[in-house]
Amino acid sequence: MASEKPQKASLGRVLVIGGCGFLGHHVVNLVLQHWDTTAVSVIDLRCQRNRRPASDGVEYVEADITDADNLTKVLGRLRPDVVIHTASPQAQGSGAVSNELFRKVNVDGTRAVVTACQQSAVKALVFTSSASIMSDNKTDLINANETWPVIRGKNQSEYYSETKANQSAPRLRVQAAAEELVLAANRTGDSNLLTASIRPSGIFGEGDVQAVYHLVNIYEQGRTGVQVGPNTNIFEFTYVENVAHAHLLAARALLLTAQASTVPLDHERVDGEAFLITNGQPIYFWDFARAIWRAAGSDKGTAHVWEMPREVGMLLGWLSEVAFGLVRKPPTFTRQRIVYSCMTRYYDISKARRRLGYVPLVTLSEGVRRAVQWTLDRKAEEKK
Amino acid sequence: MPSVKSILYYMFHPEQLRKVWHEPVYRRDPSKESDTLKSCFHYLDLTSRSFSAVIQELNPDMLVPIALFYLVLRGLDTIEDDMTIPLEKKEPLLRGFDKLMKIDGWTFTENGPNEKDRELLIHFDDIIAELKKIKPNYYEIIEDITIKMGNGMADYAIKAENGEGVETVAEYEKYCHYVAGLVGEGLTRLFVAGEWANPALNDRPELTESMGQFLQKTNIIRDVHEDFEDKRRFWPTAIWSKHVDKWEDLFKPENREKALQCSSEMVLNSLKHADECLFYMAAIREQSVFNFVAIPQAMAIATLELVFRNPAIFERNVKITKGDACQLMIESTQNLRVLCDVFRKYARRIAKKNDPRDPNFLEISSACAKIEQFIETLFPTQDPKKIALVQKNSNSEDEEKMDPWEGLILVGSVLLALFLISALMIGAAYLMGARFDKMFSGEPSSLVPAGSKPTTSLLGDHDEL
Repeated sequence: MASEKPQKASLGRVLVIGGCGFLGHHVVNLVLQHWDTTAVSVIDLRCQRNRRPASDGVEYVEADITDADNLTKVLGRLRPDVVIHTASPQAQGSGAVSNELFRKVNVDGTRAVVTACQQSAVKALVFTSSASIMSDNKTDLINANETWPVIRGKNQSEYYSETKANQSAPRLRVQAAAEELVLAANRTGDSNLLTASIRPSGIFGEGDVQAVYHLVNIYEQGRTGVQVGPNTNIFEFTYVENVAHAHLLAARALLLTAQASTVPLDHERVDGEAFLITNGQPIYFWDFARAIWRAAGSDKGTAHVWEMPREVGMLLGWLSEVAFGLVRKPPTFTRQRIVYSCMTRYYDISKARRRLGYVPLVTLSEGVRRAVQWTLDRKAEEKK
Repeated sequence: MPSVKSILYYMFHPEQLRKVWHEPVYRRDPSKESDTLKSCFHYLDLTSRSFSAVIQELNPDMLVPIALFYLVLRGLDTIEDDMTIPLEKKEPLLRGFDKLMKIDGWTFTENGPNEKDRELLIHFDDIIAELKKIKPNYYEIIEDITIKMGNGMADYAIKAENGEGVETVAEYEKYCHYVAGLVGEGLTRLFVAGEWANPALNDRPELTESMGQFLQKTNIIRDVHEDFEDKRRFWPTAIWSKHVDKWEDLFKPENREKALQCSSEMVLNSLKHADECLFYMAAIREQSVFNFVAIPQAMAIATLELVFRNPAIFERNVKITKGDACQLMIESTQNLRVLCDVFRKYARRIAKKNDPRDPNFLEISSACAKIEQFIETLFPTQDPKKIALVQKNSNSEDEEKMDPWEGLILVGSVLLALFLISALMIGAAYLMGARFDKMFSGEPSSLVPAGSKPTTSLLGDHDEL
């Protein structure tokens, strides 16, 4: 299988935007490990963290992608064949930015990236989207594939509307709009730019300070005894390296398409297409949490677990929202969290398997082991 | 007139009643059968109760070929199983069984006296007589599988003689292939030859293989204790040696948790075939054939759930209850959809029993979820076109999340309404003479106006009942 043992296929000159971020630095690592390249460079707002040693020859450039003119200049100098655009501010958690900034980086920044790519004769642009752009955060997604509709806002002005923290729906619309920009740029105008989008679900791994970090916290606080709902809801979590792998497979496919003299047939096409990416291992939602807790050291089974009915959870969530609302603070526990933990969201990734030859490199359990180990190490360092 | 005893029995085993109602698609008609064919069905009953019943409900075209196919394989099995036959004698019998079953009047009388199916071989001439009558294309299939299985069994007999057990997972699956996968191959070819199944099954041999593997592996897990007592082992060393040092350690009470973890790994290994089994059964085009293949599969997923994390499998034989078996009979003889519901139900039960401390916890959870996912590919719950339409139509601002303040007002008004109603009721009670002033004074029946007679005690009331 091509993707199981990539025979160091060539990607030419590769640029990773957001290459010091959570996903981005895994992309850089994987490029160096598995692929043959003539140059690797990174653009990020700040390039101190997640940096490869100088001996790897990666060129780091500090730049703000919302500064379109500067970005075009930088790309004009780097002249990449492939651009992997992973940059997006953290959507949730402690490092979350305002919706306004979120929109600015995702929509304006992505537009600037597209323009810069077109002007610098980039051949392939792969964009990091999200599987959640198909979700309204209420309705289940049951074995959804790419034919499911993407949730969109009514008009552009909506992206500017500042809403309360932790309401992620406007942000998903922003991500949907950014993906639309990228895919619409495929084969347009005078440029030969080919584009594709990767929609990962539940991405986790080393460097992740959201899902796994949060779950390890719950374990350390001894709060593993509650389960909301009957745990029949299936979810999908994807180890970060597999997501990185999918990006590079897409980039490779776009390069091959660019070399071909004819436009590929619809059913084998990669350019202008979006691809859902998961570990191919759907799992009952709470079982993932338990696997994390086990990896973090828990010796508990499920005998101590109280199954809280969803309705009770919703009531508690609402009470918490009211309480926090009264003291005018963003609530830490909300109804949305309850909804999330009872929602079914899993995907059919056969399109990526077929067209990209995608096969996950790392199993879910190995991913969990690595992610939890990293989290524990980091927490130990923080304590020092 | 049902007897009192049977009424009592059905009262406590209501599920059994369903068996009484069960109406097979076809029923064989012994009055039109030759003596030798009747004899064949007699031995079918003797050798396998459960299989015999499902075979006899097959459509008339498949009935005899499949019954004979089963008896031929059973004949082979009876020779292979018999430890009183020396290997020098056994090997040529197994490898040449396809020739023997062509000889008119051939019988075999040298089985040990304790071999439970020796009668079948003593009267094998009846089976041979009927084999000559079936359609040649059916006969060819039976013959081909007999050759393959005879050779496979001979190879295993030699290995057993040399004390070689099942070491790797590949060897384990190869063994299951010889004893079950080949049966599946023969059946699939018979179904396709008779046009009772989608011919595409011939191009997807892995689906047929999964059908056999799933049944066989599940039985091997369930029978671990019985096989241990018979000094036989089918669990591959590659799996059990991860959990205990010596095979017999698995059965020691002090190693129960390790043994359970080992059995979960075996269950996981079996579970991976479940989706392909469902896929296979989607290709069956006729009800009686569907029932024939679906019943054992439904029993297998239920058995897998029963043995999963069940310490009893190391102490004694476990079996699904008769009630469950009957329920499964009913549910697996309807259609694919109902059968999928059975698979989903048991997959969820397995997931529920799963223990986070088990080394294969995550894989097992995922294997169960994958069964559910596969069922979704057969019968999707969601239709993307409909979802798109709904989204288009609900142009009302999708973000009508309730503001906490709004909610507070809502709850406030509910409380206010409650307060008003209570006030009204209490007021009415006061007007009618309720003495609220005595409510907390501890006097009996303080809410009752003075002078009214206290009611008789509750106990007194009960005496009259």
